[in-house]
Amino acid sequence: MGTANLEGPVPLSRRVGVPALRNVVGRSPALAVGAVLLGAIVLMAVVVPLLDPGAVDRLGTPLQAPSWAHPAGTDELGRDVFARIAAAGRIDLGIAVVGVGASFVIGTLLGTLAGLSARGWVDAIFMRVVDAFIAFPFTILVLVIVVVVGPSRTFGPIPAGLPATFIGLVATSWAWYARLARGQTLALRERDHVVASRLIGYSTLRIVRRQLAPSVVRVNAAYAVADATLFVIATASLAFLGAGVQPPTPEWGGIMFEGRSYLQNAWWITFLPGLTLALTGLSLSLITDALLSAKAAKR
Amino acid sequence: MAPRILRRSRPLLARAGQALAVAFIVVVITFLLVRITPGDPARGILGTRATTDAVAALRAQLHLNEPLWQQFTDYFGALLHGDLGNSVITPGRSVWSVVSSSFPVTLSVIVLTTAIATLTGIPIGLWAALSRRRGVDVGVRTAVSVSLATPPFLFGLVLVFVFALTLGVLPAGGWPGSWPQNFSYILLPSVALAGFLTPLVVRTVRQAALDVNDEEFVEAALARGLQSRTIVARHVLPNSLLPVVTVLGLNFAGLLGGAVVVEAVFNLPGIGTQLVQAVQQRDYTVIQGIALMTALVVVAVNLVVDLLYAVIDPRTRRRS
Repeated sequence: MGTANLEGPVPLSRRVGVPALRNVVGRSPALAVGAVLLGAIVLMAVVVPLLDPGAVDRLGTPLQAPSWAHPAGTDELGRDVFARIAAAGRIDLGIAVVGVGASFVIGTLLGTLAGLSARGWVDAIFMRVVDAFIAFPFTILVLVIVVVVGPSRTFGPIPAGLPATFIGLVATSWAWYARLARGQTLALRERDHVVASRLIGYSTLRIVRRQLAPSVVRVNAAYAVADATLFVIATASLAFLGAGVQPPTPEWGGIMFEGRSYLQNAWWITFLPGLTLALTGLSLSLITDALLSAKAAKR
Repeated sequence: MAPRILRRSRPLLARAGQALAVAFIVVVITFLLVRITPGDPARGILGTRATTDAVAALRAQLHLNEPLWQQFTDYFGALLHGDLGNSVITPGRSVWSVVSSSFPVTLSVIVLTTAIATLTGIPIGLWAALSRRRGVDVGVRTAVSVSLATPPFLFGLVLVFVFALTLGVLPAGGWPGSWPQNFSYILLPSVALAGFLTPLVVRTVRQAALDVNDEEFVEAALARGLQSRTIVARHVLPNSLLPVVTVLGLNFAGLLGGAVVVEAVFNLPGIGTQLVQAVQQRDYTVIQGIALMTALVVVAVNLVVDLLYAVIDPRTRRRS
C-alpha cells in the first residue's frame, strides 16, 4: 500500500474509500460501531421529519402499543412517538453540536490567552474563576442560568426554552475547555522548539498559530466529543425537570417527562426516547474512547 | 512558634487559601447571576400583571435600589452571619430553613450511592484488571461504557418500572421522613445514581491496578515467592484505592447535579426538588441560596479530599 504508483494518480476511492474504512474497523471496532450508531441516529433525525412533516403534531388513537403503523407506539394524545423521537433528535443533536462548538471556541480562546499571559496574577485570578465555575454542580448552575434567561424565552423561530438551555449549557461548560487549553499552553511554552522559536524572534501570533494551536485544538477536540454526551444528557434532563425545551416541541427528555405518568400502561413513550438518548451517549463515548486510545498508542 | 511545622504545612495552607478564593468567587457569581437578569428582576418574579406598588415593594425587599457594590457588601455581610435571606414567594420562610431541611435527604442518597459504588466498583475493577480471560475485561469495559451513557434519570425510571410497578417490592417514590423506613425509599434512587458513579470507580481501579502490576515492587514480591493473593491484598489493592479517593472527590459535584434529577424521578424532598420548585416559582433567593450552598459544599469536599490525600499517601508528605 505504501509503494509508489507509477500508472498515474491513485483513484480517490482507493485512497480514502474502502481500504481506509477497513483500516479503521480493523484497528478499532469500537470506533466503527460508534460511528455507525451515531450515523443511524443522525440519519433518522434528518430524514424521518422530511418524509411526513405533519406527523409530529397529528393526533390519533392514544396509547397504542408499537406496531407497523406506529413503530414506537402513540402517546397520550395519539401522536406518533417515532416521529416525535426523530424530530426531537434534531433539537438534541443540534444543541449538542452548536453548544459544544460555542463552548469549545470560547473556552479554548480564553484558556490559551491565560496560559500565554506572562503576568502571574492575571492567570491566577482567571484560574480561580474557572475553578469556581467548575465547583458548581453542572445541572444546578445550568438550572439557575435557565431561570435568569427565562425558561420560556424565544428568539425568532427558535422554540421556547431552547435559548435558555443553550445559554445555560455554554455558560457552564466553557470553563472545562479553558482549563484544558491553559494547561496545554503552559506545558508547551517551556518545550524546546517553542522556546527556540521565541529566541529566533518569531511573533507570538505565529508561535500560537503554528506550534500551540494544533496541539491545544487536538486535545480539546477529543474532550469535545465526550462533552457532547454531557450536552445531550443535560438537555434531556432539563426538559425532564420542566425547565428545558418547552412542549409541544418534541425533545427526548420532554417526551419522557410526558410519558412518565403512563409508565405502567405505555412504557414505550418513556423508554424509547430514553433508549435513543442512551444509544446517542453510547455512540459518542465509543468514539471518545477510540480517539483517546489512538492518542495513547501514538505516544 | 514552631517553624518546622509551619514549613511542612505550607502547601496545605496554600491549598486552603486557594479554596477560600474559589469560595469567594462562587459567592460573587451567585450574587451577579440574579442581578444580570434581563429587565427588572422584581418584575420577572411577580409577572407582568403585578401592580407597580407590589413591584416597588419587592425591589425594596431585595435592595435593588441600592448601588451594586452596596448590595454585594450587604449580601456578603449577611452571608458571614449565616443569613441567606428570605424566600420571595413564601413570606417569612428563610432560605436557610429550605436548605437545611432538604439537604439531609440529598446527602443520605449521596452517601448510599458512594457506598454502593465503592463496594461494587472496587472488586469489579480489580477483577477486570487481574482476570486472565480477555472476555472479562472486554465485558466490563463495555458495561462501563453503556452505564456511563445512560442518564441516571432514565436508569431510575427503569428501576421504578421493574421494582416498583412490575414486581412491587420497593416504593416508586415518596418520603416517610423517619429512619429506618427511609432506607427503602432511598435505595432505588441511590442505585440509579450509582449507575453514574460505579463505572467511574471501576474504570479508575482497573487502570490503577494495571499500572501497579507493572511496578518493580510487584515483580520483587513475585520473585520472593509471595502468593498472588497476598500481592493483591498488600500491594495492588492499597495502591488502587488512592485514585478512588480522587475520583470520588472530582465527581462529587456531578453526583450532586445527578441527584437533582434523580430526586425528581422519585419525588424525594431533597435539595433538587426544592430547586426545581423554586425554578417553577422563580423564587430567586431560594435558587441563589441552593446554588451557593451546593457549590460551597463541593469546594469544601474537594479541599478535604486533597488534605486527606496528604494524610493517606506517604509520598505526598515527603515532597517539597
